Amino acid sequence: MHEFSIACEIYEQVMATAKEHGATEVKHVTLQMGRLSHTNPEQLNFCFKVLAEESIAKDADFIVEMIPPSLECDCGYTGKVDEKKIRKNCEFESELLAYAAVMECPACGKPAQITGGRELIIKSIEIETEDQD
Amino acid sequence: MLMHVIDMGHDVYKANDKVAEKNRKKLDKHQVFSVNVMGAIGSGKTTLIEEAIRQLKDKYRIAVIAGDVIAEMDSSRFRKLDVPTIPVNTGKECHLDAKLVEKALDEIDLNNTDLLLIENVGNLICPVDFKLGEHLRVVIVSVTEGDDIILKHPMIFKTAELAVINKVDIAHAVDVDAEKMRDDILSLNPKVPVILTSKHDWESLETWISFIELGVKEAQNR
Ligand SMILES: Nc1nc2c(ncn2[C@@H]2O[C@H](COP(=O)(O)OP(=O)(O)OP(=O)(O)O)[C@@H](O)[C@H]2O)c(=O)[nH]1
Ligand SMILES: [Mg+2]
Ligand SMILES: [Zn+2]
Repeated sequence: MHEFSIACEIYEQVMATAKEHGATEVKHVTLQMGRLSHTNPEQLNFCFKVLAEESIAKDADFIVEMIPPSLECDCGYTGKVDEKKIRKNCEFESELLAYAAVMECPACGKPAQITGGRELIIKSIEIETEDQD
Repeated sequence: MLMHVIDMGHDVYKANDKVAEKNRKKLDKHQVFSVNVMGAIGSGKTTLIEEAIRQLKDKYRIAVIAGDVIAEMDSSRFRKLDVPTIPVNTGKECHLDAKLVEKALDEIDLNNTDLLLIENVGNLICPVDFKLGEHLRVVIVSVTEGDDIILKHPMIFKTAELAVINKVDIAHAVDVDAEKMRDDILSLNPKVPVILTSKHDWESLETWISFIELGVKEAQNR
């Protein structure tokens, strides 16, 4: 799993932004994660905690917003996958597999191109700063 | 104490993609054709790259980037074939990323290279999310991984541009149907070329090598 290197990147970016804004503590890190990305939110948070141990982000909690996959098809369809079908596929051992199995166009049924759902975005951070006068 | 929410909008994979794009431009500028060879552990990545080098090295100038988790086992195999080889120790990591390749490219004489073969770390999950700047994304699995390996790792097959099912010579011994594996790949990615190979079957190796040669020729005509 590559959560550690991703966590490093998040840690560096978060710390840079926090310092830039004069933070004394980082309270929350909000992430947007594509359902098709191979990242595990809990592992990511754990790796982050290890990295941030001695820093102002040591108590930061992750808030993770999941992004559903989006598709583009030769027939002209662009948009989301058929959510009802995903629920039907819940016998799959992981959500990723359930999603990947139904990456077909809801309009014409042919396999479609994946255009979104693999991203990992640091959306925002919530920080504390000293009072300013 | 004051609380603030700071918007960042930093896309981690896009940051990698940007470096990958830079790598790609650099390779294009030097008319180098590059191949990212991904695949399961022990599926035959090094073996198939070695075969391609043996057949193509008199015609083209070849360089190799070898991602090894530890030591330089694969790198030393490539060096024996007398091609410039850059080992990239990924340590704990389970994939190459664009930054590692960017660094490795600095050590390669691109003016004197036609073909760059990159062996990724043996793993069917992590390399998927990290583009390197390659021209061709290859995934290699072998029959010994069992015939449900493909549906268990859909994303790598969906994003591959060439899929290889290797070690078909022992398919019978491990009770696996290579044709079913081919069908599974096509069900995930109907447009991807799928080839069946065995290191003991020269004809199958020729098909694999001709795919690479096609790319090299195209790059030279750009
Ligand atoms: N029977 C048979 N064995 C093969 C074939 N291709 C490779 N092997 C054997 O499979 C083993 C692993 O091959 P490698 O080429 O080292 O595999 P790899 O994917 O580079 O392995 P890692 O880099 O460790 O992930 C070696 O013992 C090869 O000789 C094949 O077509 N048929
Ligand atoms: Mg190898
Ligand atoms: Zn359609």
